[in-house]
Amino acid sequence: MIPAAAMEQPARRVSAGTLVQVFLRSLFLQAAWNPRGMQNLGFAHAMAPALADLYPDSAARARATARHLEFFNCHPYFAAAILGGAVRLEERVANGEAPPESVSSFKRALGPPFAALGDGFFWLALRPAAALAAAATAPLLGLWCIVVFLALYNSVHITVRVWLFAAGYARAEGVVEAVARAHLSRGTPMLKACAAAMAGALAARGILAAGLVERPFHAVLVALVVVAAWASLPRLGATRAVYTALLLGLALGARFF
Amino acid sequence: MLPLVPGGAPHLFFLAAVAALLGGLSAIERKGALQLMLSRPLVLGPLLGWALGDAQGGLVLGIPLELLFLGGVNLGGSLPDNESLLAAGLTSLVVPAGLAIPFGVDAPLAVLGLALVFPLALFGRRLERASEQRNLMLMDEALARAAAGDPGAAGVNLRGLLLPFGASAGICALGVLLSPLLAAVRLRLGPMPLSALEGGWHAIWAVAAACAVRAVRDPRAPALAALSAVAVLAVTLALRGLW
Repeated sequence: MIPAAAMEQPARRVSAGTLVQVFLRSLFLQAAWNPRGMQNLGFAHAMAPALADLYPDSAARARATARHLEFFNCHPYFAAAILGGAVRLEERVANGEAPPESVSSFKRALGPPFAALGDGFFWLALRPAAALAAAATAPLLGLWCIVVFLALYNSVHITVRVWLFAAGYARAEGVVEAVARAHLSRGTPMLKACAAAMAGALAARGILAAGLVERPFHAVLVALVVVAAWASLPRLGATRAVYTALLLGLALGARFF
Repeated sequence: MLPLVPGGAPHLFFLAAVAALLGGLSAIERKGALQLMLSRPLVLGPLLGWALGDAQGGLVLGIPLELLFLGGVNLGGSLPDNESLLAAGLTSLVVPAGLAIPFGVDAPLAVLGLALVFPLALFGRRLERASEQRNLMLMDEALARAAAGDPGAAGVNLRGLLLPFGASAGICALGVLLSPLLAAVRLRLGPMPLSALEGGWHAIWAVAAACAVRAVRDPRAPALAALSAVAVLAVTLALRGLW
């Protein structure tokens, strides 16, 4: 049932320019990340231009802002989908078509699953694969390997981020279905396999560099350090592993190299 | 007399300002803004190195650092070591030192620098935690302003970028200003310490490769990496006629 007051007024919509502003502000989602509200300040800050369009009355706008200062946490790229959806839902709230609680429920429901999806795909698969591809090609490409890394990573990242925001705004709750149909997670195992192969190639590069020229014993030593470091990293951590290896390398270098 | 970058002390101060600006921007790009991966060591090392006068030297530092910290992931409230602060600090220290001596950024200089500033990664994590605690005050301010009817309450968000920017900028400027000391140490090294530091560089590469394999969180990763390493070694040795 649409309230009579809402039917008398023209439907409130967010302009295209405002949507662009919201998206650009979403790039600062974690500027004031904090342990209690996590990305809440960033989310409210990104929503501000949309709320300004939808709520001309400052008291109503302050209430809407307070709504977006509640706890929020998601993967920073996948949050774009929730942000787009929240703008669409705020339009409905401003037009009296939905209760304010629907925005909070939407954010709470989608935050954790989208965070898991984004962490698994971007942090644990795409970024290692792109970085290892760049590192592996550095001997051939030199400084251009940076372009390889940034192009591989950001061509996917920026496309997905823009698409998620647009899909969120277009579909609101229906963005879940759109993300599910994109099968992002299906590429994860393949990216990880490529990353592992390239990590192995880089280990071989380190071994070969130590073995040059005519120093097979050194190459064997470095190979042993790779295996020992791999085995002991979970217990030692990177810092202790680096200093332990450094001491070993210094000692062996002073004696043998 | 300490070895200085070409251009002397005035140029050193100019480089300190450049390093401060880029180092500060990298600190906010890492988490607070954009996240285009410009602050990853692989990019930041050469980029900052280029701004300081030696992009290739920055790349020499950036690649092993990237591999060492490839597995560091910021999931929820957990904080990984701060690879960006380390990359920025290390590049700010080592690249100007390399410019001040005839050898440039070589393995001994890189190892000396890395051994000195590696704890910056842990310090950066503590700094990030402190910044997050400070952001709680911003959140309380925003909540109070919203409750009082201020629709611009969320505008405090961007103030969260100030502390990471300032801290990283200060560390990078300090790195550049201390670089003549590192250059002086490198100049005085005899054959035995140089050989030892070469060994240290190979050891760091070995740990970096192991970290890269660990970073691929997949049960197949060790086997695939081993196969790939053996294949690369075999092909290279065959091409050189050694096998």
